[in-house]
Amino acid sequence: MLLEVGGLVKRYKTKDRQIVEAVRGIRFTLSAGAILAFLGPNGAGKTTTIKMIAGLVRPDDGDVTVEGHSLSGRSGQALRHLGAVLEGSRNLYWRLTPLENFEYWGGIRGLSRKTARDRGRELMREFGLEDKIGSTVQQLSRGMQQQVAICAALIHSPSLLLLDEPTLGLDLDASDRIQDYVLRLAHERGVGILLTTHQMEVAQTLADRISIIQNGVLTLEGLKEDVLARFTGSSYVFELAEAPSAEARLLADDLGAAWTGECEFRAVLDRPTDVYEIMRALEPCAVVRVMRETADLATVFREHTRKPVPVENIREVTA
Amino acid sequence: MLHALSAEWRREWVQLRRYPTELLSELAVIVLVFYGLFLGGSYMAGGAILGGRLSDIIVGYALWTLSMMSVGTMGWTISNEAQNGTLEQVFLSPYGAALILLLRNMANVVIGLLFTILTLFSVMAITGHYLFISPWDIVPGLLMIASATGLGYLVASVTILMKRSQQLLNLLQFILLFLIMAPTASLGGPWRWLAIMAPFSPVVALLRSMMTQGAALLGTGNWLLWSVVNAVLWLLIGLLVFAWAQKKARRRGNLSHY
Repeated sequence: MLLEVGGLVKRYKTKDRQIVEAVRGIRFTLSAGAILAFLGPNGAGKTTTIKMIAGLVRPDDGDVTVEGHSLSGRSGQALRHLGAVLEGSRNLYWRLTPLENFEYWGGIRGLSRKTARDRGRELMREFGLEDKIGSTVQQLSRGMQQQVAICAALIHSPSLLLLDEPTLGLDLDASDRIQDYVLRLAHERGVGILLTTHQMEVAQTLADRISIIQNGVLTLEGLKEDVLARFTGSSYVFELAEAPSAEARLLADDLGAAWTGECEFRAVLDRPTDVYEIMRALEPCAVVRVMRETADLATVFREHTRKPVPVENIREVTA
Repeated sequence: MLHALSAEWRREWVQLRRYPTELLSELAVIVLVFYGLFLGGSYMAGGAILGGRLSDIIVGYALWTLSMMSVGTMGWTISNEAQNGTLEQVFLSPYGAALILLLRNMANVVIGLLFTILTLFSVMAITGHYLFISPWDIVPGLLMIASATGLGYLVASVTILMKRSQQLLNLLQFILLFLIMAPTASLGGPWRWLAIMAPFSPVVALLRSMMTQGAALLGTGNWLLWSVVNAVLWLLIGLLVFAWAQKKARRRGNLSHY
């Protein structure tokens, strides 16, 4: 397994000397080539968890292993396989050019100057930024800076990439470029990606798996399709070739049709096979389209986080 | 590790080259200071005894500035990287932050030393006064920089935990200046331990006996031994405290958000 997060716990002492559990026994895994969207409301414990995975915050309990190397034991070995672009940090020296940044960040990760330069050029080419390689980072747009930061995080070809809000504050073009690249990175090159974002459409586009953290507890975890399906209602939209007769319309009403137009209605069905019953009731009027309404990730997130965290998962700890 | 050292070296050099006004003003300050030392030294010491005494002053000053650079670089690096938003990336290096700081310090000292040597030769050419500096002077110089590196780790530890260390650095400069100027080598009884254990003290005594009394490096009594012990001790203390401070900062979760 590429990343194993085992029972992470983090407690902080507040100014009034109370101990708050920011992360309570988080446990998940990430395999090579997969993208896990790690979602949660503000203050849920996402950034603390990401920083524990990067070794920047020391957990009070639990451990993180990257490619089998424990961060609490052989942290140097674990860090060789890890790259990170952290939110709220520039992640680059703005007075240096991208190429000079690659030489530096590659160097302190054990790469020779030539290897770092070649790899940096290749990464910049993949982002279509090869003509910006000689400009200082401060001269680049916000979107370009973020793309260069991703290149720098990938300079040592890590097998795990942590992306904390990678598209925050970027225009559509830059955001699309980053999303395209992240997809290729995971699915074509097998890099495992742990992504945190508040932009649900970004998470929905990129993620293979979804995890939701609330009050430091992982409250939802699964494949994206399963998570979306779990929240997909049994609501279907029917589109008809022509307006049905009054008799057929009444029959459909009895089966739960809510008309949204002359030739379109919505129905909530107990079983998917009830679709056929409605189609028979409407005959001879032809049904040209039946669409099951699927939930998007934003709806899932809203619905899920509206529920309070189960009581058994909350422990009050006082110093 | 060599790649990391050369990366640090290049980064420092590129930043110096990128802003030539900063480089030139830095060089101008060093030239002026050394020129002032030459002229002042000539005036006070007189032409006949100029050579030996002046070289003491100049070597002492050069070592002092390089040591202060070592003490300050690490703490300054921590707060500067935090303000730049690059501190986390430094801590993500598999070599560890302690080694990266050491390498950056080495790069700074080497660049500082190059500037000093270049300036010294330029000023000697301008004034026509040539100094004899023994290659053995480098040994106490290295020991002094090793002690200074240990103190640098202590300053970095304070910075990592308290987030600001400028006032501490100012205070430390005065304390170290006192330790260098005070004749601790002549202290007796239990105070002698102060001369042996206080940072820089034995190496200053070693330098004094080499420069003012003309003693050979190996003929300075136990001062060479105590200087080595002192340098290793302060370097170890600095490393241990920095390792503890890193652990504490990671536990508190305040490795960023400066």
